[in-house]
Parts: sequence; structure tokens; C-alpha cells
Amino acid sequence: MRITFIKPGLLTTVQDLGRHGYLSQAVPVSGVMDTLSARLANIAIGNDENAAVLEFTYSGATFRADDDMLIAYSGEGACLSINNKILPSDRPVFIPQNSVVKSTGNALGIRTYLAVAGGWDVPEVLGSRSTYLPAAFGGLQGRAIHAGDVLNACEPSELNLKIFESLVSSKVHHQPWLVGKGLLSKAQRSVIRIMPAAEFRWFSGSSIADLLTEPFTIGLESDRMGYHMEGRKIQRVRHDELLSTAVAPGTIQVTGNGSMILLMADCQTTGGYPRIAQVAAVDLPLCSQLKPGDAVYFEAISRIEAEMLYIEREYLLKEIAASVRAKFL
Amino acid sequence: MLSPLHIYSLNESAVTIKFGDIISEDILAVVTAYDQYLNAKPFQGMTATVPAYASLSVFYDPLKVIESDLVGVDAFERVQQYLSAIKIDNNTASGSKSDIITIPVCYGGDLGPDLNDVAMLHDLSTYEVIKLHTQAICTVYMIGFVPGFAYMGGMNKRLASPRKSTPRKAVPAGAVGIAGEQTGIYPLQTPGGWQLIGQTPLKMFDASRKQPSLLKAGDRVQFKSVSIEEFNQLKGGN
Repeated sequence: MRITFIKPGLLTTVQDLGRHGYLSQAVPVSGVMDTLSARLANIAIGNDENAAVLEFTYSGATFRADDDMLIAYSGEGACLSINNKILPSDRPVFIPQNSVVKSTGNALGIRTYLAVAGGWDVPEVLGSRSTYLPAAFGGLQGRAIHAGDVLNACEPSELNLKIFESLVSSKVHHQPWLVGKGLLSKAQRSVIRIMPAAEFRWFSGSSIADLLTEPFTIGLESDRMGYHMEGRKIQRVRHDELLSTAVAPGTIQVTGNGSMILLMADCQTTGGYPRIAQVAAVDLPLCSQLKPGDAVYFEAISRIEAEMLYIEREYLLKEIAASVRAKFL
Repeated sequence: MLSPLHIYSLNESAVTIKFGDIISEDILAVVTAYDQYLNAKPFQGMTATVPAYASLSVFYDPLKVIESDLVGVDAFERVQQYLSAIKIDNNTASGSKSDIITIPVCYGGDLGPDLNDVAMLHDLSTYEVIKLHTQAICTVYMIGFVPGFAYMGGMNKRLASPRKSTPRKAVPAGAVGIAGEQTGIYPLQTPGGWQLIGQTPLKMFDASRKQPSLLKAGDRVQFKSVSIEEFNQLKGGN
């Protein structure tokens, strides 16, 4: 299965669930920003959850299917359509050879993920297929997708083929069911759950109160490395220098002028700004769909709650994958 | 059980052991000893470690940890118990000095645009700056900032220089710089504010190598002055 890009869109990269083994050499995790959407797109067509997907930023990409294909897409940055007919998301979709697929606007978020049966075939670099643009490695030649680029899928698995066979036809065809994103999504998308981070007590009580009651807005200078959070300035009561130490996606740092930066997938592995909070892993996918100008509130939860939510979600994703498998194998 | 280590949660899949608040060879030796121990004897589910100046962060898959034999109510507690039980004796922590890695550097000129400023700041000749920079045995405290960037201590304190007031938009790969009492090498072209005194022809980071970063925390490094001809020759050989 193969596609050719006609228009690349604003920023389209190949990503998987990230590069986790080289943090000690300051190689960032990278990978998809919205891990939940990417994993569900993979699960829907019987892929390994870590299979490489395409990450679209907003809309504007157009590609041609060079073969009959089994795909699934998920996310909130765009809808995919063929001949102005929107393809349903979060489920397996068969598209016939020579279909031209366009991504059009979906105002809810930024990022959309396209999975293909078998996963996109790009070489593994340092154990991952993720693109890391600042150092130009991974993905398709270490860069974003250009017009004219051709992407092939890896060999499909037995499950991929069973799902493909269930849908194969002369026209677009999809399953009536969808993977249960509703079970995993929060009703209140603008409330992000956080836990206190190591330097939480370095900040004044009134700033902590601001953090937990005031809105913060995503700044214009926000990208895959991190978001500037605009709002009340955060005051410090301890002015020690922090020795650089490990940070991770979801870490909220406070810079010298009292602004907060929320670190995202391409963030540095270490940092020297004091850390006020850490976003709960289960809410990072929500953060990855935030656009400049979006306002959020933060809600404090405990470390134990955050770990329980994480484990609950992992087991739920395992169940969803198992139920897809049970339908076909 | 009373934990002698200061361990805090970084996120749902990582903890940090904090060993102190200062940069010192002694603390580095302890960080390195724990790092080596963990990489030789990882617990079930451990995925990576990140040594820093005075801390070691340990990353793991929480599902694998809670399914392991480790004891505790949650993944954090299990990892905490495992880390707290590690015994590092002082001999291991200080006894294993690594070999000295030589880094060739072409100092001054276009490759080291701030060499004159650094010399003037300290009332030294450029020759003396090069001599002081090449005499010291430096120690890699941490790899951070961008892939393969080594923060090194042990530089002669007479060369300590403040960062540039306006960072450069693009520092070339291989640039050797000074910031405060530290020296370091930019592995990739990035923005940067360190005072640049020279450039190495070596590829400090290469994603296609098995060990992509040339240096790792705990390594000992000595700089060696090379001519522009040698620099070009070595660079051509990469």
C-alpha cells in the first residue's frame, strides 16, 4: 500500500510512540503529540500501537492512494474526505486505488493521525521511526513531508489482512463500529489535571492559587517542543538556582520572568528552570490538541491518582485492542 | 522503611534521585555509580536513565513495574524500594576513573570568534588561553540541551567567562564554548550563548552511530590544539 503527496499541509511528519532509549544522550522522546488518537487509529486497523503514523497539523494536506488501502484516522485537527465526502474517523476505512484524499478543517484541535495497515515504512533511527526535526533524523529523511513524497506501508499482519478483506470493494467502505474514544475522553476538555512538581514550594501561595483558579492561554510561540502559557505571572519565594535535571513532556517550567512553559513531545531531556507542576499523562493528549489562543484551567490531583488514571487507561486500551482482534481472529 | 535517598516522582513513568544541590566531582561519582549499577541491573520495566549534575532520573513502564515482583502499593513505591535498596560503596563511587578522551580543537580565527574577547577579559594572551584550556582534564557532568551536548567541569577557573549578552542565532556544529566555569561542545547547529573559542572536527553526535553521542556523563576529556590544516584533514576524514 502506497500514497503520494500532492500537497503536504502545514507540517506533516512520520511519528510513532517515541524514542525512549537515548534520553541519557539528550535525544528527545519525540513521537506523536496526541498519543491517544495515534494509538486508537492504529488499534482500529489491527496495527501494533507503536506503528508509524502520519501526524497532520491543521488541514491542507492532499494525497493520492496508489493502491487499494486500509486506513484509519483519528484526531481533532482535520477531517479526511474523498470527493467532498467526509470519511468517518476512529474506525477501519477501505479506500480504493486512485482515491484523492483531502484534509479539511476541524476547528476543535490541531493534530490528526493517519494510520495505514502495517504502519508507514520508514527506517528506524535509534529505535524509533519518529521524525526529530531540530536534528534532522528519523521519519522520512529527518524532515517534514513535501509535495511529491511517496510513502509505503510495511507488510500487513494477519489481522490487518482480515480487516482489509472484510471491507474490500470498488468504492470507499467502512466498518459501522468505531473504537471507543468516548470512553477515554473527558467531558471538560479545558480542564487539565496536574500534580505538584519538585519545585512546587518555590512559588508563592498566591501564585499557586492563581495556577489553580485562573485561566492560562496558549501563546503564539508554541510548537512540538513546548507551549508558552500566557496569564498571571508566577512569583517565586525561593530564588535558588536549580541545577539542570531531567524534565519530560508535561513538565511545566517557570522562566525567569515568571512565565510558564509546558513541555511537549520534542522537549529537551534536561532543564534548569524550576518546575511548578507536571501534567497528568492521561491529559497530555488533550494538551496536544490545544491551539494558540485556547484557554485552559488547571486542576490539582495527587501522584497516586495520576498513576491510577494512567493504568486504568492502559488497561482500557488493551481491552479495545483485544475486542478489535476478537472480531476478526 | 526509612529511605536514605531523596527520591521524587517526575511523572507517572519516571522518578528522580536527588544527590545534592552543588556541582562537584564527588556527587558526579555517586551519580555515575548509581547509573552504572542500574544499567547493569535494571529492574523489570526500566527503560532509561538520565544522569544530570546532581541527580539521576530513572524512566520505566508503570504496567511492567506493577506486574513485577517488586513490593509497593503502586509503581512509584516499587521503584523507590528498588532504588533505596541499592548499596553503593565509596570505593565503587570514586575508584573507577575512565580513560581520557582527546578532543582536537582548532582555536581562534573564524572557528573561535570569541577567543580574543575571552583573552582580553582575563588579561591573557590567546596563546595562554589555549594553553590553559588544553592543560586541564575536564569531566563530563551531563549530556543535555540538544542531542550529545556535553556540559564539562574542571576547566581552569581563570578562563571562567559569562555567557554572551545576546545569544547567537546559529552556532555551528563542533563549536567549543565557555559559559561560567564550564566548557562544552555544540554537537549540532543551534542557537547558543556560550563564548566560542574554537571548533572540533569530530562529529560529537551522529544518529547513525551505534553510540550516537561521542561523550557520556562521567567521561574525562582533554582538548588538544590543532592547526587549521589538521582540522580540515580530520574533518574530511569524518
